[in-house]
Amino acid sequence: MMFDVYTPLLVSLLLPLVGPVIGRRVAPALAARVLTSAAVLTAAATTWSLILLTTALVGDAPPVIREARAAGRHLADPVPEVIGVAACLALAVVVRRVQRAVRAERRTRRALRRLCEGHPRDVELVVAASEVPQAFAIPGRPGRILVTSAMLSALAPAERRVLLAHERAHLTHRHGRLVTAATLAEAANPLLGPVRATVSFLVERWADEQAASAVGDRVTTARALARAALNAGRARRSCALSFTDRAVTRRIAALQTAPPPHLWSAAAAVLALGALAALFAADATSDLVGLLWNALT
Amino acid sequence: MAGTGAHGRAERRSAGELESEVLAALWATERPLTPAEIQSEIGGGLAYNTVHTILKRLYDKGLVLRDADGRRGAYRPAKNAAELTAQAMHEALDRGPDPIAALQQFVSGLSPEEERALRNLFAGGGA
Repeated sequence: MMFDVYTPLLVSLLLPLVGPVIGRRVAPALAARVLTSAAVLTAAATTWSLILLTTALVGDAPPVIREARAAGRHLADPVPEVIGVAACLALAVVVRRVQRAVRAERRTRRALRRLCEGHPRDVELVVAASEVPQAFAIPGRPGRILVTSAMLSALAPAERRVLLAHERAHLTHRHGRLVTAATLAEAANPLLGPVRATVSFLVERWADEQAASAVGDRVTTARALARAALNAGRARRSCALSFTDRAVTRRIAALQTAPPPHLWSAAAAVLALGALAALFAADATSDLVGLLWNALT
Repeated sequence: MAGTGAHGRAERRSAGELESEVLAALWATERPLTPAEIQSEIGGGLAYNTVHTILKRLYDKGLVLRDADGRRGAYRPAKNAAELTAQAMHEALDRGPDPIAALQQFVSGLSPEEERALRNLFAGGGA
């Protein structure tokens, strides 16, 4: 209990360090999947650990102590009260953050549904007659691809196929779900923020690789990205969205080399890290149940 | 993957994908296009009849219009739904960072130095 309950925390410190390395060396489809799984397992484990530490406060409750003394039992208290109280507060913050993330997710879904109004359900492409070059996938059943007229006219025919294939890959491989899962993991455990960022980047890389193989040409794919980015940059207003994380440049550079291999061993190691967090949390649970059982009976 | 020409790929595109491509081509050009022009614009060894069938389907769905005052047989995209969508999109963008910023957009922002590097890519690659 003493150590087991803190191990998930250690894993959530390690995962952000491992994430970028895996992201560079391993095929994006595999890397995105294992990193998301590990992040979700770790977030569940840290949240559960907080619940355990909070529950351990029961051992400090006066009636329990009194009763145990009366029964002449020695009460082993593995969790200092300070940590119990801190865990309780942290748990409240986690609940609040997850709630907020879920609400933001719903708001996004609603806004996206509105964008498809007036377009026939059986057509994949939703065009917005707008001067802002913009393109994104709208998950759902059926999934849709929204592209603005400015983006379409900025690209050459082959590059338009890259764009459509890229967005289609997001829909086919349900990238929205992966990113949502990683976002919720970050909400439950802010230490996993960098992992969420890596997953967001990797699904773009994954879609780029899919587009490159659909069009059969990595150079055209890289050029489509470059042209779209240059046009989007020119039209982008100074407010929001003006952040730059070198993501496009990194994606283009990745397309100029061979696709990274499916390194199963590295992927398995990441997954093991997540599983480790979950296992230790489970072990801590049985320890706590045992302790409380002793204290209360 | 490598070595598969555009021609070989054409057969594997589904009807839905081709609809998207034809619609995208019509939106990309400023003027109405005839089926033959769309055929050459899209490329990939698409048969003329296929283009015609797809245009007919898009027409039935109300997404393209026959160009009444222009050349015979030319098509242009229907604007109504696209304008409503643009309006909704701008409203969503103006409301703040969410919700569209939270999405996986095709491309994100560039720094000035990145922009220079990308322009060089075009200068070198010839676009």
